[in-house]
Amino acid sequence: MNLVWKLLRQHISVPQFAGFFFANLFGMLIVLLGFQFYHDVVPIFTAEDSFMKSDFMIVNKKIGTASSISGRSNTFSNTEIDEMGEQAFSDKIGKFTSTEYKVDANMSVNGVPVLDNGEISFESVPDNFVEVKQLSDWKYTPGSKVVPIILPRIYLTMYNFGFAQSHSLPKISDGLIGMIDFQVFVHGNKKQAQFKGKVIGFSSRLSSILVPQAFMDWSNNEYAPGQQTEPTRLIMSLKNPGDQNFTKYLDKKGYEIENDKLNAEKTTYFLKMMVTMVMVVGLIISVLSFYILMLSIYLLVQKNSSKLENLLLIGYSPGHVARPYQLLTISLNIAVLIMAWIILFFVRNYYMGIIETLFPDMEDGSMLSTFVVGISLLVLVSICNLIAIRNKIASIWKRKE
Amino acid sequence: METIKFSYVIPQVFAQRVNELDSDIWNTDATFEKGHLYLVEADSGKGKSTFCSYVVGYRHDYSGSVTFDNDNTKEYQVKEWVDMRQHHISHLFQELRLFPELTAFENVEIKNKLTGFKSRDQIVKWFDMLGIADKLDAKIGRMSFGQQQRVALIRSLVQPFDFIFADEPISHLDDTNSAIMAEIMMTEAKAQGAGVIVTSIGKHMDLDYEKTFKL
Repeated sequence: MNLVWKLLRQHISVPQFAGFFFANLFGMLIVLLGFQFYHDVVPIFTAEDSFMKSDFMIVNKKIGTASSISGRSNTFSNTEIDEMGEQAFSDKIGKFTSTEYKVDANMSVNGVPVLDNGEISFESVPDNFVEVKQLSDWKYTPGSKVVPIILPRIYLTMYNFGFAQSHSLPKISDGLIGMIDFQVFVHGNKKQAQFKGKVIGFSSRLSSILVPQAFMDWSNNEYAPGQQTEPTRLIMSLKNPGDQNFTKYLDKKGYEIENDKLNAEKTTYFLKMMVTMVMVVGLIISVLSFYILMLSIYLLVQKNSSKLENLLLIGYSPGHVARPYQLLTISLNIAVLIMAWIILFFVRNYYMGIIETLFPDMEDGSMLSTFVVGISLLVLVSICNLIAIRNKIASIWKRKE
Repeated sequence: METIKFSYVIPQVFAQRVNELDSDIWNTDATFEKGHLYLVEADSGKGKSTFCSYVVGYRHDYSGSVTFDNDNTKEYQVKEWVDMRQHHISHLFQELRLFPELTAFENVEIKNKLTGFKSRDQIVKWFDMLGIADKLDAKIGRMSFGQQQRVALIRSLVQPFDFIFADEPISHLDDTNSAIMAEIMMTEAKAQGAGVIVTSIGKHMDLDYEKTFKL
C-alpha cells in the first residue's frame, strides 16, 4: 500500500484539494446550519401555551364598517352565548370578563421600578379554562390582599429586550418570576384598595392581565356594583377541534376566531420556505464542490494513468489501485464534516444565546438530528465518490479494448 | 494451467490481409504447453507484442480464440485476469513498464508485496548476480535501459507462474549478462515447472528452444 501510495500521490494538487475542502465545507455548513436553525427556532412558534391550550378557541364578533354604522353591538348577549353553548360542537364555553373600575399598577423587578402608577386592565376567564400546575396557585379568597395574576408574554419580551438591557438589569425567565414585585391600586365606588399581584406565569394568548374569576367577580361587585358590560370575547373548546359545523356557524353568525395558532402556522411556513431555500443554496454549493473534487480526482487519475495501467498489468486489481484515491476522498469528506460540525457548534452557541434571551423558557434542543443529516450526506457523497473513482479506474482497465 | 492455445487468431490490424499472413501463430492453431521452452521469432511489425498482450488480457482486438486449458479467455472478467496476472502468467514487457519514481528495489517490491512470493534475500541475490547490487536504492529513472531490463526481469520472477513471456528480454544487454539472465530465468521456470516463451527480432537468448514459431 505504501509503495502504491508513493506512486499514486504524484501530481496531487494541494490547491485543488484545498479549494474542494473549503467549497464543500461552506456548502455543508450552510445545509447543516439551515437544518439546525430550523429545528431550534420552530419550537418557538409551535410551543403550546402553558396556561391556555391552543385548542381553546377565542371567539369575537367581526368588526367592520357595516356593523359600526348599523350600530350592531360587538358584544355577546347572554342569549347568544347560551345558543352557542347549546350547539352540538361545543364542549365548554366561557366569557372574558373585564374590570369595571380603574386599576393602576406599580411593577418593579429586583427593586427597580419598571412601571410606575400606570393604568392597566384585568380580565378573567372561568377557572376551568386556565391550566395551572398547582390549582391552589390560582385560588383567590375574597378579601385577601394577594391576587394571583398571569401576565401577557409580550410584557416579558418588552422587559427583557427594551428595559433590562438598557438598565443593565437581569433578564427574567419563567423560573425567575419571583423577582417581580407587582402592586395593584384599585379605585371605584368611592373606595380604594391596594393588592399585591403574585405573578404565576406568562401566556402568549392574552392581551391583558389575567386574574382568577373569583377575584374578578368579587372586585367588580365591590368597586363597581351594578355595572356589568357584556363580554366582547368568548373562550370555548370544541368536542372535535376540526368540526366543520363550527366554522359554518361562525360564518352564519358573523363571528370570527382569534387564531394565533394560524399566525404561528404562517410564520412556520415562511420560516420553512426560507430555510429550505438556504439549504438548497447550500446543497448546490455542495454539489459544485463535489464536482470540483471529481474533476481533481479525474485529472489526477489522468495524469497518473500510465502508472495505474502498469500497476494493473503487473497484477494489481482495479479495486486495489482505486483504494488510495477512495481513501483520500473519504478522509477529505470526513474532515469537512467534522470541521462543519465544530463551526456549527460555535455558531449555534452564539444564536442560541440570542434566542434564549428572547424566549428564556425555550428548551435547549439538540444537535442530534443535524448529526444524522451530516452523516447521511457524508455517506451519500462518499458512495458517489467511490463509484465515480471505481468507474474511472475501470475505464483505464478497458482503454485498450 | 497446462496449455495456452491460439485457434485461428487474427489481430484486427491484419484482418484486411489475411491471405498474406504466413505465420505459425496467426490464423492457425498454436499450442503452448507448461514445462516447455518456446521461441517466437518475428520481424518488426509482425505482432510480437500484440501476441503477448493477448495472453495477459491487455488487448482483446482479435478474431478467433485464445484458450487457457479449455477456457475461452474472451469470457474472462476482471477478477480472472487479475488472478492470471498474479498467479499464472508472468510477463517481461518489452517496454519494461517500470516506475521511474521508485528505486530499483521498490520496483520489484511493489510486485512482491502483492504476491509475497520471494524473500528480500532472494531478490538481493538476483540483483547481485546481475551485477546491479549497487543500484538497489537508485531511482529507476537514473538507470540505463540495460540495467532497467535486468530489474524488470527480477520483477517478473517474484510471482508464481505457469508460463512466462519474455518480450525481447535482452535487446540492450551484452552476452555475459544475457547468459546470466537466461540462467536465472530458466532456473526459476524449472523450479516452478513453468513454460517459457521468449520473443525476439534477431538477437535472442541462447537457450535450447524446443520449438520455434515464426510470426
